[in-house]
Formats: sequence, C-alpha cells, structure tokens
Amino acid sequence: MMSDGETYRVRMTGISKRYGPIQTLDDVSLNLKPGEVLGLVGDNGAGKSTLSKVLSGAVIPDSGTIEIDGKAVSFSSPADARAARVEMVYQDLSLCDTVDVAGNLFLGREPRRHVLGLPFLDNRRMHDQTREMLDRLGIVIADTRLKVENLSGGQRQSIAIGRAASFDPSVLIMDEPTAALAVAEVEAVLDLIRAVSARGVSVILITHRLQDLFLVCDRIQVMYEGRNVAERRIGDTSIEEVVNLIVGRKFTARSARASRDEGVQP
Amino acid sequence: MNVTSAGVGASPPKRAHNSTWKDGALANGSVVSIALFFIVVCVVFSLVTGSFLTTPNLLNIVRQSAPLLIVAAAMTFVITTGGIDLSVGSVLALTATLSAVALQAGLPWPLVVVGMLALGAAIGALQGFFIAYERIPAFIVTLAGLSVIRGVALLITGGYSIPVEPTSFFVNIGRAWFLGVPVPALLALVVLAIAYLAFNQTPFGRYVTGIGANAEAVRRAGVDTRFMTLFVYVLSGMAAASAGVILAARLGSGSSNSGQGFELDVIAAVVLGGTSLFGGRGTIIGTVLGALTVAVIGNGLILAHMSPFLTPIVTGTIILVAIWLNFRLFKGATRSR
Repeated sequence: MMSDGETYRVRMTGISKRYGPIQTLDDVSLNLKPGEVLGLVGDNGAGKSTLSKVLSGAVIPDSGTIEIDGKAVSFSSPADARAARVEMVYQDLSLCDTVDVAGNLFLGREPRRHVLGLPFLDNRRMHDQTREMLDRLGIVIADTRLKVENLSGGQRQSIAIGRAASFDPSVLIMDEPTAALAVAEVEAVLDLIRAVSARGVSVILITHRLQDLFLVCDRIQVMYEGRNVAERRIGDTSIEEVVNLIVGRKFTARSARASRDEGVQP
Repeated sequence: MNVTSAGVGASPPKRAHNSTWKDGALANGSVVSIALFFIVVCVVFSLVTGSFLTTPNLLNIVRQSAPLLIVAAAMTFVITTGGIDLSVGSVLALTATLSAVALQAGLPWPLVVVGMLALGAAIGALQGFFIAYERIPAFIVTLAGLSVIRGVALLITGGYSIPVEPTSFFVNIGRAWFLGVPVPALLALVVLAIAYLAFNQTPFGRYVTGIGANAEAVRRAGVDTRFMTLFVYVLSGMAAASAGVILAARLGSGSSNSGQGFELDVIAAVVLGGTSLFGGRGTIIGTVLGALTVAVIGNGLILAHMSPFLTPIVTGTIILVAIWLNFRLFKGATRSR
C-alpha cells in the first residue's frame, strides 16, 4: 500500500546504530509522505529519539540510507539536516524567556534597517511579520511584545513550533510537544500540528500521549528495543492495540506482522 | 496578572486588555522603583541643604560621576549576559597611571588616549577569551584580573602618584567646559546614548539579552555567542580605560591607588537599576538612575555636613531596600519561575 512508486518525502532504510554493547537501532526503516503526520511511539529506550536524531543530523548512524524527496543524503551535522529542510522542535531549548514573542520567532535573523551603515532592529517590520505568522498558524497571542516568560506552557510550545515552521521546513520533528500541558493547550498544539501539515509539511510526532496520536496522526509506527515492530494506519487500530505493541506483546497480533511486511519493508 | 494567561486556541482572549500605563509600570517595575528612590533622595537633599539644588552643584555631580556612568553602561551589557567584570577598578587605575607616565615621556595626548582605549580593549579581549572560549567563570577570570592589573599599576609607579603637566591639553578631557556643561558629563552622555541604542535597538543588544536568558537558544539560532560574550568584556575594558583617562585628566595625576572599590560602585549602580545578576534582564535607563542615585547620596551627605563615612552605609541600605521593594511591589509583573 505504501510502496506504490510515489515519491516519499523521507525514506530511511536499514538504519542501525550501536552504542557500545547496546544496539540502539537495528535495521530500522521509516517512510514519510508529503503532508503526512506520523506518530512514532515506543517505550523508553525503544530508539525513537535516536531515530529522530539521525534524521535531524544530531546522530550519525553506523549504517543505513536516508533519502529525502528521492535523493540520497547523508547528514554529518544538524546544519546539514537544516539545509535539507528538516527541522526539529527543541521545546524550551529554543526560547529566550526575557525576549518578546517577535524577538524569539526572529532570533538570529531579525529584520534590519541600516542607519549610517550600522545595523538596527526593524521592530515594526518584525512585529508585523510576527502577527501575520501567528495568524496564519492560528496561534492566539494577544501581544507580540509580551515576553515569553509571561506565556503559558502551550503558548511557549506554539512559539517554538511556529519558529521551526517559519524556516519553511519540509519535515518537522517534534519530541513530546504536548508533555506537561493543560487540556485546552494540548488541543491548541494539536491544532497547530494540523495547520502545519495542511501546508504540506511532513510531521514526525514522538509522544507518550497515545490519545494525541489518534487526533492528529495519519499513521503510527511502533518501535521496540531498537526495531520497528509495527505500523498502522490510524483508522485500522485502537489504543489497546498500540499499547500492546509498545509493551512488547508484539507477535500476538497477526496483523502486526502483515502490516509490517507490506508497509515498512519495501 | 491575568493579562497573559489566556490559553492558545481559545477564541480571542477576553482576559487580555490593551496595556495601560499601569501595566507598563509593573513590567518595568525595577526602573520605576529606582526612579522613585532617585526622586526621593533628591527631594530630601533639596529640603535639607540649600546648596544641593543649584546648577553648579548638579553639574558637579554629573562631572564627578562621569566615570561611574560610563563604566556602568558597559557593565550593564556584561551583567545582562550573566557575567561580571570585577577588574574595571584596576583597569581604571592602570590606564590612569599609564596615561600620566606616557604624557611625562612626551607622547602626544591623542595618541595616549587612543593607546589607553586600545589597552582597555586588549585587556577585555584577553579576559573575554578565557570566559567565552575557555569557559572559566567570569567571576574568577576578572577577580584574577583585578589583582594582576592593579599589581602592574603599582609596579610601574612604585606606589607613587604621577603628575600630569597642568598645561597639557590632556587635562581638558577632565576639566574643560563646553556650552556650559563639563566635558566629562558630555562624554558620559554620548556613551550612554550609544549604549541605550545598542542595547535596545540593535541585534547585538538583543543577543546580549538572549545570551543571558538562554545562551543555547541563541547559539542554535546561528549566532556566534562566544564572540558576543568576548565582545562585552572588550566594551567594559574600553569603558574602564576611558574612565581612567577622564579621572587622570580631572585630577591632574595618575595614581595606582585610584579606583579602589570602583567595581563595587559600578555593580551597585547596575543592580540598583534593575539589571539581574543572573542575566537576561537589563536596562540602561535603570543603570543611569542607579549610578546617579549613588552619586547624589555621596554628594548630598557631604553638603548636609554629615560624616562622609555614612555614604557606604546609606548606599548599601538603599541597595537592599530598593531590591527588596522591587521583589515585593512588582512581583506580579513577571511569573516567578
């Protein structure tokens, strides 16, 4: 069903990574279509984060190939991945508390105007563009001059995602974007994920909140001890089944093997 | 402070309202509280002494506090990155003595001034290198600098103060008046204006604040944070050097003992103005008010015929009370994290 010849946005094949005696990733594959939201789940230590780091260039795999839009790539640093338009959302790591909303969105690439050859911030343009960007993504923030420290956890997460989305990525990786958020805020972040994917961005969502997966994902890939064990379209599965797959009763469900055969391995 | 707590995704938040002067005052609580202190101190001394609120005395205050204002402006950048520069008093002493020595040796005064600024920048760059690239805490690097640089100044002079020829044009930097205003005050005004613009209106100022708040985020945004960090120490070194030149010119001599404890006055002024020692939060206006408050207290106590030894007691008390009020009264403006 997946290997019908159309171009994948991302195609990772046979990725392996070993840290000392531990085989963190063992012949893992991952496919992602344009505009698709893929939920990547698994227990702690299953290799989700390592796999996402391989795709974002932070970890170099021992073997395996990565193709983006049909072209083979090899990332040796996050900058390489960014150049290939793969962005990772680093939650709080990417925000400066005492800088305002617009300043955070434009950190490192502020609009400038030159007076006597010296660079000054073009605050009006920056705030106008921020307002436009927030409206486009449906992020509700009253004032772009608010400092980020005065925002709620969900708003902060939205700014972090909005910042990553503003680099015009083709793939956006989010690691636990909804952890520790209030209910209404989770909804807002999930809406934002939908808005981003509706604009053609492929999203990889790593989360332990399984109910979130069923709200935004098109497909779920389950990892267990460094291997991918199952892949489901969201309509074909249930929370109970996903839980079983995560905790490792992986071969009890026959459909898991069937799906894996036709889905993950080309 | 419900202004900011409306959730994302909710229909346009009803709890938010357009910011009023009151919100502005709360958000800039530290500046407002030091401004109140400054006004109170000025009013008290105006009532207690007849000579405080006279033009000559006020001009005298800004003339005397020019070195403090200049170095405090640069220190605001340093402290906002989360660092500190304890060596400014020693750099001031070294440049004051070296400029006197250089003038005695017959060097032309413009060369002396430029040379001192370059020396200050070089000292700042060296300390900044250890802080930004070698990751040694700023407190330790500049504490070592404080000791070494003062030692060099003492070694050069043997502990004596070195006179500057009063006929030299050099003394005009500290003594001359221009358009009815003392030249040191004008120099301080220019430095403060540049510092204000750089801090609030340039990408550099934005990165300085960002480095203090979350250096990793700024680094990931593609900014060379190590160079930026090094550069703020270059600024404070240059500021301390210019303060040394102004002091030597005003006093007509360079003493290796000048500027003892100067770094503490500077840090007091910056902290009093509301800049956070933890970094990420700084204001040039607050620093100016903080420095002027420190200067006015010293001046007013003398005019009121009180013991000059009361100055450190009053200054210290005001620092504690101002920051305590800041914590208490204006706590609501930002979420404590």
